[in-house]
Amino acid sequence: MSIYLYGVTRAEVPVPRGVRGVGDPPGKLRKLVAGGLAAVVGDAPEGLRARRRYVQAHQEVLLALAAGGPLLPTRFGVVVADDEAVTGRLHADAHGYAAALDRVAGRCEMNLKASPVEAGVADLVREDPRLQRLRQESRRRPGYDVSIRLGEAVETGLRRRAVGAAQQVASVLSGLADEVQAGPEVPGCVLNVSFLVAADRVAECRAAFDGAADRVAGRAELRLTGPLPCYSFSGLPAPAGA
Amino acid sequence: MTVITDEVVCAPRAGTLYDVLDLILDRGIVIDVFLRVSLVGIEILKVDARIVVASVDTYLRFAEICNRLDLDHDSTSRTVPELFGGASGSAARVGAKKAATSVGGKVKDALGMGDGHDDEDDERDERDEDDDKQPRRRTASRSSGSRTRSRHRDDEG
Repeated sequence: MSIYLYGVTRAEVPVPRGVRGVGDPPGKLRKLVAGGLAAVVGDAPEGLRARRRYVQAHQEVLLALAAGGPLLPTRFGVVVADDEAVTGRLHADAHGYAAALDRVAGRCEMNLKASPVEAGVADLVREDPRLQRLRQESRRRPGYDVSIRLGEAVETGLRRRAVGAAQQVASVLSGLADEVQAGPEVPGCVLNVSFLVAADRVAECRAAFDGAADRVAGRAELRLTGPLPCYSFSGLPAPAGA
Repeated sequence: MTVITDEVVCAPRAGTLYDVLDLILDRGIVIDVFLRVSLVGIEILKVDARIVVASVDTYLRFAEICNRLDLDHDSTSRTVPELFGGASGSAARVGAKKAATSVGGKVKDALGMGDGHDDEDDERDERDEDDDKQPRRRTASRSSGSRTRSRHRDDEG
């Protein structure tokens, strides 16, 4: 029976009670201890797919685990042949995992995403001479081409405005974070960035976000999510000599 | 975690799936050295997962906005199809106060999503997946359902 891997933690971190794992019926969680490390695993469900319910279960297990101690969260969908494959791997790179756990200990990930907003196009036009020119042109001689050019210019302007606003907010959060990591490109987002934040600074982070987001209100739509398991800060240090 | 509470806003929470989907699917350790069973199609399914999760999460957020609305104040817009026009469209994201406020008026017309919405939607999600339907089709059928509801409402009014 292949096993589903949720994450790697320290041996003493408890497996959360009452949390259901990935699968139908939801899989039970168990801990594979290897020296000072432990992997939290469950039986891999047959026909594992990226279903909403499974992804949600994966996330909830990780949130519960991260509440109990440092955690290196696994990406959704990592399946391993058997217990020995996991413990063998933990033993083989024990120092790397321990160092990676030290890095995230007492910290969490906060993720900032920003998208353009369509509100306030009037302000945008007022501030941009090129938009004013295109608008006048479009009103004088309406047509498909000029409409496309005008619309494209507005879209570009909205994006640029959102990027500027998002960077302002991101720089405020960077000042409170231990590390910063750009996230994957996400459709519709002009900025996706994660912050590694000390657990006791999350409230401060939220307050700073609220203040900064207020100052750029109407220019970008900003979403700060967290505290999250440290998805973006869990890479193993490069092996020595590599 | 809901922090902004002074207006009708759905602040992102740690449990909101859509906003962290990229992290769950693309970040986190993989441990390639492990005997990783390559999940057939999981890379492709990521795309579908984004669509499915996006639309369900959008409905859940709108339902939450709905539940907080003060219906004694009249709304100015009733364009429901616009609401459900696209999960990745601007109406789907309600983080900023302005966006949420402007959406809020439209949401008033999208009533009918009760407390059981979450479970019902998840069931639908699961069923459709079991039937191997494309998420796109599912999304399409949902939005036509919304249109039906909106027409019905127009007939009443």
